[in-house]
Amino acid sequence: MTERIKRLREQIVNGTYQKNRSHKPILQDAETNCRNADEVFLAVLQEEQPYFLEGDRIGFYMYHTKRPKGCGAGNFIPNYGTYLTKGFGGVYKEIKEKMKSASGEEKKFGETAIHLLEGVFEYCNRFKEKAPKELKKALERVPYHAPQSYHEALVLLRICIHLQRMNYTVHVTLGRFDQYMYPFYKMDVQRGVSHDAILELTEEFFLSLNVDTDLYSGVQKGDNGQSMVLGGTDINGNSVFNELSRICMEASLELNLIDPKINLRVSKNTPIELFRFGTELTKQGMGFPQYCNDDVVIPGLIALGYEPEDAHNYGVAACWEYIVPDVSHDIPNVSVMNFPKVVNRAVHENLAEAKSFEAFAECVKMQLEKECDALIESVVYEDKPSVFHSLFFDPCIAHLKDYASGVCKYNNIGFHGVGIANAADAMAAVKKTVFCEKSISPETLKEALDKNFEGFDSLRQSLIDCPKMGNNDDFVDELGGFLMECFSNALACRRDKRGNRIRPGTGSAMFYLWSAEKVGATADGRLAQQAFGCSFSPAITSKLNGPLSVIQSFTKFDMTKIINGGPLTMEIHDTTFRNEFGMMKVAQLVKAFMDMGGHQLQLNAINRDTLLDAQKHPENYKGLIVRVWGWSGYFNELDIGYQNHIIARTEFQVS
Amino acid sequence: MNALGRVFSIEEFSVFDGPGIRTSVFLKGCNLHCSWCHNPEGQSKDIQIVKSPNGCLNCGACKKAALLLTGKEELCEASVAACPNKLIRISGEDYTAESLCDRLFKNQQFYETSGGGVTFSGGEPLMQSDFILACAKLLRGKVHLALQTAGMCKPEIFDRVLSEMDYVLFDIKLVREERLKRYTGADANIVYRNFDTLVKSGKDFVVRIPLIPGVTDTKENIADIIACLKGYGITYAEAMPYNKMAGAKYTMVGRTYQPDFDPAQDVYIPEKEFSENGIELCIL
Repeated sequence: MTERIKRLREQIVNGTYQKNRSHKPILQDAETNCRNADEVFLAVLQEEQPYFLEGDRIGFYMYHTKRPKGCGAGNFIPNYGTYLTKGFGGVYKEIKEKMKSASGEEKKFGETAIHLLEGVFEYCNRFKEKAPKELKKALERVPYHAPQSYHEALVLLRICIHLQRMNYTVHVTLGRFDQYMYPFYKMDVQRGVSHDAILELTEEFFLSLNVDTDLYSGVQKGDNGQSMVLGGTDINGNSVFNELSRICMEASLELNLIDPKINLRVSKNTPIELFRFGTELTKQGMGFPQYCNDDVVIPGLIALGYEPEDAHNYGVAACWEYIVPDVSHDIPNVSVMNFPKVVNRAVHENLAEAKSFEAFAECVKMQLEKECDALIESVVYEDKPSVFHSLFFDPCIAHLKDYASGVCKYNNIGFHGVGIANAADAMAAVKKTVFCEKSISPETLKEALDKNFEGFDSLRQSLIDCPKMGNNDDFVDELGGFLMECFSNALACRRDKRGNRIRPGTGSAMFYLWSAEKVGATADGRLAQQAFGCSFSPAITSKLNGPLSVIQSFTKFDMTKIINGGPLTMEIHDTTFRNEFGMMKVAQLVKAFMDMGGHQLQLNAINRDTLLDAQKHPENYKGLIVRVWGWSGYFNELDIGYQNHIIARTEFQVS
Repeated sequence: MNALGRVFSIEEFSVFDGPGIRTSVFLKGCNLHCSWCHNPEGQSKDIQIVKSPNGCLNCGACKKAALLLTGKEELCEASVAACPNKLIRISGEDYTAESLCDRLFKNQQFYETSGGGVTFSGGEPLMQSDFILACAKLLRGKVHLALQTAGMCKPEIFDRVLSEMDYVLFDIKLVREERLKRYTGADANIVYRNFDTLVKSGKDFVVRIPLIPGVTDTKENIADIIACLKGYGITYAEAMPYNKMAGAKYTMVGRTYQPDFDPAQDVYIPEKEFSENGIELCIL
């Protein structure tokens, strides 16, 4: 890290830049409410003021901390490549050209777009006047013209992100940075720019992603959507992991900051050396890279109806949801399938009548299908028309149509799936105790659950002693597979209210806490309200054999069928990473997971003692970063419930 | 042969017990009494009740349950279920070779892709050599086998087990006979005879040196070890510095930690001495 970067990093970590900002609202709520999203955006454009960090070459941060609620869409990957190749001016001219033959709604769309883009140009000009020298020079060309250097490309990208924030986009992802930036990286390399200079620029850009993040928190601070995808396989089966991908990883390693969150696309052809490099990042303890397996994700997306070219171009949304850049406006997180709730319902409503376990399983399936219908019915589409937001999707530009009209190539929705292990464990316990051993009657089980096991200690213990998902035990793992199969099949033959596909997933988001609060005691021995496992992971209370068993339990099912995203999450004690032996073996473990057909993996280097001490003495752990679900955050800034869940997860320790 | 093996832990993904991704089997019972041992569970060959002190509510449920079952307050099997915070467990489980190997085979795919396998550790695994041999019969040729040993056993047993292993992690603690005896109880004549056999067998092996302050990290002992390794032309060894948390587990098995050295003293890491003598020392 150069001295410049160190100084910039310091300004950001200490938050000194925050004193430059204004807390005055740009619009009062009432004023916001009577404007449409584009009018709100224009008001923000007019009011925003430039400010810079010392020695800044990237710039573009929010001056006003109180952004009025504009568009509000989120979790998609914008068409950065379009703006990088054409410049905003190119798109502007294209729209003007198209308007010659447009009429009605399209013409109106075009007029608004032109007006908005002119606002953007004016804003950037205003910005340029005050910008430090090097940034000013870049702004002579971008964003109007296409960038001619890596630096100019980074500034244009930064502008895209900043504008989306101004438009109140909830999660702004970065997509396949190493792919769309590569031509500009190449330009610099051909010009003789050194690796170190490119690394420094990349670091500066990464730093800019850590400014303002206090303004963009989702459910918790850190949940801001800034995920970046590196590497991958192209349609010809070739790896596209390039020199720039490597530089991004180096930059993240040196900076040791939350953003951007790195996702690595890998496959059976990925060399162990890359997993080894990724392990360097894991060792930092920030919970990334998250690995996505092309060999599973791509066929999975194709099976969902994505064209092969688009499937090969997938990236991730804010957390883990596989989405296609530029052309899709999928909403991959509209709802959540609560597996334990469904099994619990079957226990309460159907178990007493079930003559066999198979009959009971049929009832679970029926309950799950009912739940799918209810979820589909309850989906609320909040797409607020926004011409400016639409400009980040190629089909909207091509057809002069708002994204909310459904003009994008894909408008699918996705359901998370939470508590899969708790649910499979509950089914296994029912199978073993009620049907195989006949040691517990359906009535007694129901009563015990209703009373949250009060007065049923030994019954609860016998449920706890039943096989648990994560120990490579087919007895229960097959039931996890059964639930996923039911979920997958149920959604395969259903469509949402707009007639689009519904993608089943294995992610939990915050629902491992939120949904769990609403579920009473379950047949796996879990007490009422107790949290589920995070995403695609064992229940937090399960006694586990170790990481090899966990991986096998969670790779048995054909994951192409349940491909909305949601990683297996494993906690590995930080001492494992202390030397080359440990590092290489973690890399081998990741590779083995992929080879066995896992779809997504996220490892945490964790030390429970550190976390417990951090709860007691937060002042000593200001920089402590942990992975929460699909994102990483500062431990101190998390609500206690999220802190405790991380502490409660099994950490695999090696001696 | 229906040898039962007494195991106190099976660890998947044990990264410091040999090449590749491995599962380590920790066999219960040891014939040494190193006072720095961080695994007191491994010392006794008996099945033990282990109670973790952290989080104990002092509610007495464990003692009550024991009293009910045995008439004594001494913790027993019944205490395990009685503890509301699940702090009590039983250490030591008997396996047949078949049942253990079934479990070990389950991770076969990891061993194959990573060049890993199974490691028998302990305790002193050679105290259960019949069991290891019974397992080796089932695993040999299919799984890479490693042994982690302090080498204190009858030469014929050592030779027999060695012939079934692919890799050995051999502890070298102290070289001088009287000091080895005093601190570990081992007989240097036997240990170094077995070490000699190992080196000459042509098998893959690694030397493991626990660095204990004032005991094994002394100038004299380091010089002895270096001389020993140089004599064999060994150019690589691994050192495990004393773990200051080593004492933590003693109360769990109802013992008091009584190290016969000063555990607060800093460990000396003799990297310089080793490298000057052409031996790479890897610190684990």
